[in-house]
Amino acid sequence: MDIFSIILWPLKWVVELLLVGWHWLLSAAGMDPASGLTWVLSIVGLVIVVRAALIPLFVKQIKNQRRMMEVAPRLKKVQDKYRGKRDQLSQEAMRRETMAIYSETGTNPMASCLPLLVQMPIFFSLFQVLNAAQAGKAGVGPLNSQLAEQFGNAALFGGFAPLHTSFQKAMEATPPQVGVMIVAAVMVVLMTASQFITQLQIMSKNMSEEAKASPMFKQQRIMLYILPFIFLFSGFAFPLGVMFYWLTSNIWTMVQQFIVIRNMPTPGSEAAKKREERLARKGKLVVDEGTAQETVVVVEKQQRQQPMSKSRAKKSGTKPNSGGNSSERK
Amino acid sequence: MSTLLLLPRNAVVAFLVAYRRIISPLYGDVCRYHPSCSAYALQSVQLHGVLVGSWWTARRLLRCHPWATGGIDDVRPRRRFRYLITPAGFVVAGHQKG
Repeated sequence: MDIFSIILWPLKWVVELLLVGWHWLLSAAGMDPASGLTWVLSIVGLVIVVRAALIPLFVKQIKNQRRMMEVAPRLKKVQDKYRGKRDQLSQEAMRRETMAIYSETGTNPMASCLPLLVQMPIFFSLFQVLNAAQAGKAGVGPLNSQLAEQFGNAALFGGFAPLHTSFQKAMEATPPQVGVMIVAAVMVVLMTASQFITQLQIMSKNMSEEAKASPMFKQQRIMLYILPFIFLFSGFAFPLGVMFYWLTSNIWTMVQQFIVIRNMPTPGSEAAKKREERLARKGKLVVDEGTAQETVVVVEKQQRQQPMSKSRAKKSGTKPNSGGNSSERK
Repeated sequence: MSTLLLLPRNAVVAFLVAYRRIISPLYGDVCRYHPSCSAYALQSVQLHGVLVGSWWTARRLLRCHPWATGGIDDVRPRRRFRYLITPAGFVVAGHQKG
């Protein structure tokens, strides 16, 4: 065993346990244990468990983000200092100073690397579990050889698209399995599209002006358009089962983002402005949104809103919340 | 000889550089530290080699969670670094000082 598989071993075990657990549950509910749908739903179940477990991390991040308003003036000062300086050293110094402000004031808005760190190995584990299952090999834990074989061979759409196949394998088969190729291609496109839309949503609506001014944003924009192509190509090697995991995960992210963008947007972002407008139009805050503290903030903002020309609005930029009530509980 | 010795280090460097180019931008700026976790990993492997560098990286990754304060967290400098780092990030034998 190489070091990589030693690290992945416990994760594979958990992935298998969740898969087999959901499969058992669905079978007990009367679904055909060998059908593709049962196994796909087991994968969906796996996504639900993983993403639900990550919700606390996400909530914490949102809370962190909302405290950004408190340090906005200081951040703006740093940005003004480095305005127009595009060389690497200035940029590095700017990031350094920004980070120092965050840690000094305890208002770090970054998500941290943990969610990524958790999800990536799960993705790899599923990939390996599926690859092993395709060969009918037993997994490292709850997925015994019988179940593994069933999983790999479980097929969708009337039995012609087994979960272990990829576009590549269908193409290399003799004769080429055109039907499977079409299914796989559709999956790749769906997966890429959902990834792209989610990313576009975040970048166009839920980023503050400060974040948009950073050089990282430019790089991110370029990647936004390059990545779909990378996915299109690499997706051809992914087994269908892995793509179902990815697609479900993307859909979860999309919905989560939609809720966040609508109800808890990043302060200073376009989505935040939209939300204020929406609330102003209604005249008052809807009860179900947020805590009482939030109500105070929004009402206050509403009172301050005066007719403003577009150019003036632009000039004034993001305003910090004046009231002390804007701070979240610590 | 030193090229051979530096091979594992440079292999990991190549992987990290590729990761930072291709996968990192997908998630944007998420790290709560400066330098970011992947930059930290790259630097620590460049300076300390695969084994020691991985150790520091693993510890940093465990530190990077939403409850951490974050902030500036540089790689431990190497007092006597015998090699040179090319602009691309690879570590090569240096001729300047022994």
